[in-house]
Amino acid sequence: MRNRKKKRSNFSILVLKVCMIGMVVIILMRLFQLQILEYDEYSPKSRDNALRQEIVTPARGLIYDRTGKLIVDNEPIYSIIITPATYDPEATPLLANLLDIPVDSLKKRIEKARAYSWQRSSRIFTEIDFKTFSAIQENIWQLPGIGHQIESKRHYPVDSLRASHLFGYLREVSEQEYLQSNKYNLGDKIGKSGLESIYNSQLWGEQGVDYTLVNAMGQSLGSYKNGASDEPPVKGQELHTTISADLQQLAEDLMEGKRGAVVALNPKTGGVLSLVSAPQYDIRKLSGRIDKDYWQSINTNKGKPLYNRAISSRQPPGSTFKPLMALIGLELGIITPQTEVYNPGYYLRGRRYGDHADVGTYRLRKAIQHSSNTYFFWMMDKIATGGYLNRWHDMAADFGLGSKTGIDLPYEVAGILPDSAYFNRVIGKNQWGLGDVLNLGIGQGYLSVSPLQMALVTAEIANDGYRVRPHIVQQIKKENGDVVQIEPPRKKIEWLDQKDIDVVKEGMRLVVSDGSSSYYTDLDSVAVAGKTGTAQNPHGEDHGWFVAFAPYDDPQIAIAVLMENSGYGSISAAPVASLLIEKYLTGKIDRPYVYNYVKDFKPKLPETENE
Amino acid sequence: MNRKGAFNWSITLLWVSLVTVGLIAIYSATQGPVAEFLPSYIQINFYKQLVAFGIAIAVFATVQFISPRTFKEGSYLFYGICLLLMILTLIIGREVNGAKSWLTFGPVNFQASELMKVATILATANYLTSQRNISAENMRHALMTIGLLLLPTILVLLQNDTGTALIFLSLIPVILFWSGLPYGISLFIISPAIIGYLCIIGWYWGLLAAVVITLLIFFIQRRTWLTFTSFVCGILIVIGVQVALYQVLQPYQRGRIEAFTNPEFDPKGAGWNVIQAKTAIGSGGVWGKGFMEGTQTQLRFLPEQWTDFVFCVIAEEFGFVGASFVLLLFMGLLLRLLKSAQNHQHPFAQIVMIGVAWVYFIHLFVNIGSASGLLPVIGLPLPFISYGGSALLTNTLMLSICVNLDFHKRQLSIYR
Repeated sequence: MRNRKKKRSNFSILVLKVCMIGMVVIILMRLFQLQILEYDEYSPKSRDNALRQEIVTPARGLIYDRTGKLIVDNEPIYSIIITPATYDPEATPLLANLLDIPVDSLKKRIEKARAYSWQRSSRIFTEIDFKTFSAIQENIWQLPGIGHQIESKRHYPVDSLRASHLFGYLREVSEQEYLQSNKYNLGDKIGKSGLESIYNSQLWGEQGVDYTLVNAMGQSLGSYKNGASDEPPVKGQELHTTISADLQQLAEDLMEGKRGAVVALNPKTGGVLSLVSAPQYDIRKLSGRIDKDYWQSINTNKGKPLYNRAISSRQPPGSTFKPLMALIGLELGIITPQTEVYNPGYYLRGRRYGDHADVGTYRLRKAIQHSSNTYFFWMMDKIATGGYLNRWHDMAADFGLGSKTGIDLPYEVAGILPDSAYFNRVIGKNQWGLGDVLNLGIGQGYLSVSPLQMALVTAEIANDGYRVRPHIVQQIKKENGDVVQIEPPRKKIEWLDQKDIDVVKEGMRLVVSDGSSSYYTDLDSVAVAGKTGTAQNPHGEDHGWFVAFAPYDDPQIAIAVLMENSGYGSISAAPVASLLIEKYLTGKIDRPYVYNYVKDFKPKLPETENE
Repeated sequence: MNRKGAFNWSITLLWVSLVTVGLIAIYSATQGPVAEFLPSYIQINFYKQLVAFGIAIAVFATVQFISPRTFKEGSYLFYGICLLLMILTLIIGREVNGAKSWLTFGPVNFQASELMKVATILATANYLTSQRNISAENMRHALMTIGLLLLPTILVLLQNDTGTALIFLSLIPVILFWSGLPYGISLFIISPAIIGYLCIIGWYWGLLAAVVITLLIFFIQRRTWLTFTSFVCGILIVIGVQVALYQVLQPYQRGRIEAFTNPEFDPKGAGWNVIQAKTAIGSGGVWGKGFMEGTQTQLRFLPEQWTDFVFCVIAEEFGFVGASFVLLLFMGLLLRLLKSAQNHQHPFAQIVMIGVAWVYFIHLFVNIGSASGLLPVIGLPLPFISYGGSALLTNTLMLSICVNLDFHKRQLSIYR
């Protein structure tokens, strides 16, 4: 009996042991599963729990002019942040006083921050000026729970320089852009126009990440491992441009109150020295918090200040097209420098085509000098009747008309350079005739170009026939010092003969030295060559053109100026071009009367508007 | 063999080791960097535990000088006193975390239910060895034993302390089994726990378990009525659990169950504790994050990390290695206790040792099971390790009685 009992109890103990060991083994297996098999799942979970990633937006790349002068940089903006948990509501009147806002409005902002999170900080006031910021910092000991955050916005260190259409403005990424790219966070600003947009990816850099330790309540406990695992942002790349800040400044000054565009190129490289579209907007007003009223006003303004006329407008080039016509005529053998054409005051071909030049016999140089329409109508007549229209098109296209030049700015237009296919398409097969073609000879009719394209043609004549690509950025410098040199190709226009170019250049020289525009354009210090033009405008006052290059012997600058609704180019556009050439080549302006004339010049704008 | 037997140093050493591990974990959980986010009355828990350890050593030593007969002879009186204290608690007790289980005497707070564990084990052991030939095969004896265990269970349930009630309940099959209850019936008694647990995971698992257990009982016992009863009970439990889950339980209780089966269902609410506890354990990896380096612990992601979730602190900061070490210590202690029971001549001591080992084990399994997501969260502390003076003292008292009985082996058998 006793033995049986003993056996029974020993067996019970054995069963218990087996049960216990079994269940402890189950626990061990569970631990093995969690800690070893599923470690890769739980480890990041615990890391995510305890670490908050804070994205560090990289400093946007700087932009320099051709001399290395800083023209676009960044400026800190100060925001005041609040952590409601540690904030003392008694401090509200003081804070409102420092921020110079009503107590009620501040209270509302604080309420909002509280509703967002008790422990996390949120912005209650953005973009305060440095003075207010300093005042708050001085009183920070009385303001528990108040802190600041420094962000940055674009700053333009050259005070009188706007260059809105060159630089372009930034705006916060749209939801769509945010979803498409993993580079940005909501609230980041990216370039929307100008260089800021074309070179956005270079200027942007790479985001960094700061790791902050947070507890279960969401309180921030400072940086993790003293920042050892932070990934610092990579600064945006620097853009070194071909822009001359001084020239740009003067061009903007001269174009103030007018409509039109100025494009100045380095004829040797195609580098843009200056590019102005007037009217322009105030780029500084779009750099930080955007004033909605201002944004509204520039969007509705009749002068369309957001529209970049220098590269996006299409106008007939008028007589500024004649030098190119001359080169084509010489090459096609239609004319020689000695060919004489009599101008009776009009060109008769079915009807009279007017000519403002004096009655008389014209050879090429004189025809350019005095801009005789008859000479060029006659030549275009020969081209059309000789079946050369498409040759004419191809040769003009070799100079860059009818297609985009490839400048590093957005929204460039190609313009229109018609050929027979174009006429067939637009007017209709066999529906068009000589009347549609003759006007092309004097740069009117269906032909349309942008000021940039005219500057390019002028540069190509100035550089003796090399096709270049207009560009603004010549060098991109990375944070680590690597430099990417941008050298667009430079290609000889094959069919051009040097002696033909020389004749045309001589004609252009005569325009300035002894022609209609010489009063405003001839300089003692520098030999300038150029060509006036007037684009007929069916909607109002004609647009004035002037293209020029200088110095005559070794051109350093080629320029095109378009002045809308300003009448003859010789009295509107020419003085502007001349002043810019003088400034660029001599460094100063010796003719205050020309400067004052331009400043006082008022275009006949079609409607009155507030700019 | 020495007349007095040998003092059981290995159990003593295991005990000291476990309490030390506990002190380390509590230190990290209340005095580490996390202290910044803890109120001061929780920060001092480490020092309170240190004091409790001091008292526990005194208790342990003192108990060694008591004659083993005293435990047997005084067991009913002790049981009676504890029952009175339990009733007193129900009347004037203090409510903490929803359970009215604390008695306050001046500066001292303690849980009568803790002492009740000791008293119940002693009284039941005494009853089962009070006469010759007492056996659970005898229906009257079995019912008496169940009564002794059920009385404190009911009182604890009235105090709204489900976890502790579970301890008393779980003692019933163990002790009955030891005292001769047929295997089939024993299996029948524990079957509700198994079926119930599986039902929470999925009713079909519960059903499967009911069928399998019924078949087992049939093969072991071959009694038609028992087999039939077992099957009917099994089905009723499956249905009952479903009804309980969806009809009877309070939303917060159901939330806990839901949180166990699917913590992602409500990650910010009921599932939070389970997710954070599992994350703490899992992210510990093999070697752990290091003492006072556990982010889950130190950044306050763990709930109750000095008591119910203290094991997570160990698993997070000392990894699989540390956690397994603690389990090994426990296993060592339990096997030592069972070995002592086996070697002991007197059934009173055997029952006490088995009972004590079982109480430790259930705490251990439920505590770690809850923390690692094997079981729904049932608030039970980890013996010797979790913060809690009453629990440490009671657990130590139980252990010291076992050591005493082991030490005085011969004395007790002569008495017999």
